[in-house]
Amino acid sequence: MKRREVIAGVGSLAVLGGGAALAFNNTGSDGSSFESLQLETIDAPGSSDGAVTVPERGRVTVLELFATWCGVCESMMSEMATAHQRLGREVQFVSVTNEPLGETVTREDVSAWWADHQGAWTLGADTDLTLTQRLDAKGVPYTVVFDAENRIAWRHRGRTDAATLTTAIGNARTE
Amino acid sequence: MPIKRVDRRTLLAAGTTAVATAAAGCVDTFVGGESGNDDVVLDPPENYDRRKDLDIPYPTYGEQIPDVSVPAPLHDRTVSTREFVGERHVMMTFIYTSCRTVCPGLTASLRQVQADSVEQEYADEIAFLPTTFDPKQDTPERLRTYGEEMGVNDDADNWYFLRPETPEAAKRVVEDTFGVAFESGEGGHGGDTEATMFQHASVVLLVNKDGFVERAYNGGPPGASEARTDARAVIEGW
Repeated sequence: MKRREVIAGVGSLAVLGGGAALAFNNTGSDGSSFESLQLETIDAPGSSDGAVTVPERGRVTVLELFATWCGVCESMMSEMATAHQRLGREVQFVSVTNEPLGETVTREDVSAWWADHQGAWTLGADTDLTLTQRLDAKGVPYTVVFDAENRIAWRHRGRTDAATLTTAIGNARTE
Repeated sequence: MPIKRVDRRTLLAAGTTAVATAAAGCVDTFVGGESGNDDVVLDPPENYDRRKDLDIPYPTYGEQIPDVSVPAPLHDRTVSTREFVGERHVMMTFIYTSCRTVCPGLTASLRQVQADSVEQEYADEIAFLPTTFDPKQDTPERLRTYGEEMGVNDDADNWYFLRPETPEAAKRVVEDTFGVAFESGEGGHGGDTEATMFQHASVVLLVNKDGFVERAYNGGPPGASEARTDARAVIEGW
C-alpha cells in the first residue's frame, strides 16, 4: 500500500491535496457522474465468468453489495428478483459480493448460494473492495440506483423491498 | 504483496500534517493535546472531540483493554485478553451466534481483516478474539459451525472464539469487564424451536500491540473497507 493511501485511511479525511482528493471525492453523489469501474463476474445463473462495467452509461443501473453470510441479503434476493423480473430488460442489474473470496469461501460457493436464492442477473465480486470503498458502503446489503448519466439517484443501507426499488428505479429513469 | 512497514514516528508526523491541512479547527487538539499520544498509531476518530468527555462504558480510543482470561474451547486452552500485548495487534467483538442481524456483520468485519492479513502477510501480527456472551446456546460445536459459515480461516492460526463457560461468567467478562451491555430478550430460552435473542451493544475493538485501543467501532459494524484500511494503517504504522 502506498503511503498516501495510508494517510487517507488514518484520518478518514475528506479533504486531501493532489490526486488523492479527486480519487476519493469522485463518488457521484453530489450530481457528478460516478466513475465506472470494471468488476470481475462469476459464473452463476444469469451471470458468466468475465467482467462487467458498472455503472453502465446510457441506462439505469441497480447495484447491490451483499455477502453470502448476510441473512438480510438472503431475504432481499426475492425482492431483487421481483424487481429484476419487472425491469431487467431495460435496467442493468448487478449484485456484487464484497466478502473475501478464494481462501475459505470460493467463487463456486457464491455461485451455489446465488442459484439457491433465485439469482438470475449479473453476479460480481469486489474482492479488492475498490467499489465498496468508493461507495463508502458501511455494510451489506447496500443498494444504489444510478441514473443513465451514472449519477447516484438513490442509495440505501439495509433491507429494502421490490416496491421501493421499483419506485427508485422509476425516479432515476425520469430524471 | 506484503505491506511495507513504515517507521511509526514518520507516519504519525505525516498523519498530523494531513489533519492540519485538512481541518484548521482541529490543529489545537494536535499540538500538545492528549490525542497526540504515543500509545496509538491512528488519529482520533472523527467524533472524538465530541465524545471524549462522555462516559463510554467500553474501552475506547487511546485506552488500554482490560485483562481477563476466557476459555477458547476450540483451542483447548484459556486465552487472556492481554496475552498478545507485545506480540500481536488484536481485533475483538462480542456476539452470539443465533443473532441474524448485526452480529454476522461484526464477525464479518473481523473475518475481512483476517483474510487481508493472510493475503498481505501480516497474519502472524494480529489475533482475532470474537467473544460470545451466550454460552448456553453457543456450545463449542456451535462456534465451530459458525466459524465455518463465516468463512473463518483456521490455517491462519490467529482466530480464537472465546466462550465464558456460564451466563454469569459472560456477564462478568463481557458486560462488567469490557463494558459491552447485553440482555436476553424474548425467545425459546433454550427450547428446540426458537433461539433466545439478546439486546446488546455493538462493539468492535481494534487494539494495537501495546494493548491500546486504536478504534472502537460502535453502533454497527465497521464497513469492510473501513476495518481493512484501519487495520492496515496500524500494521503499517507500527
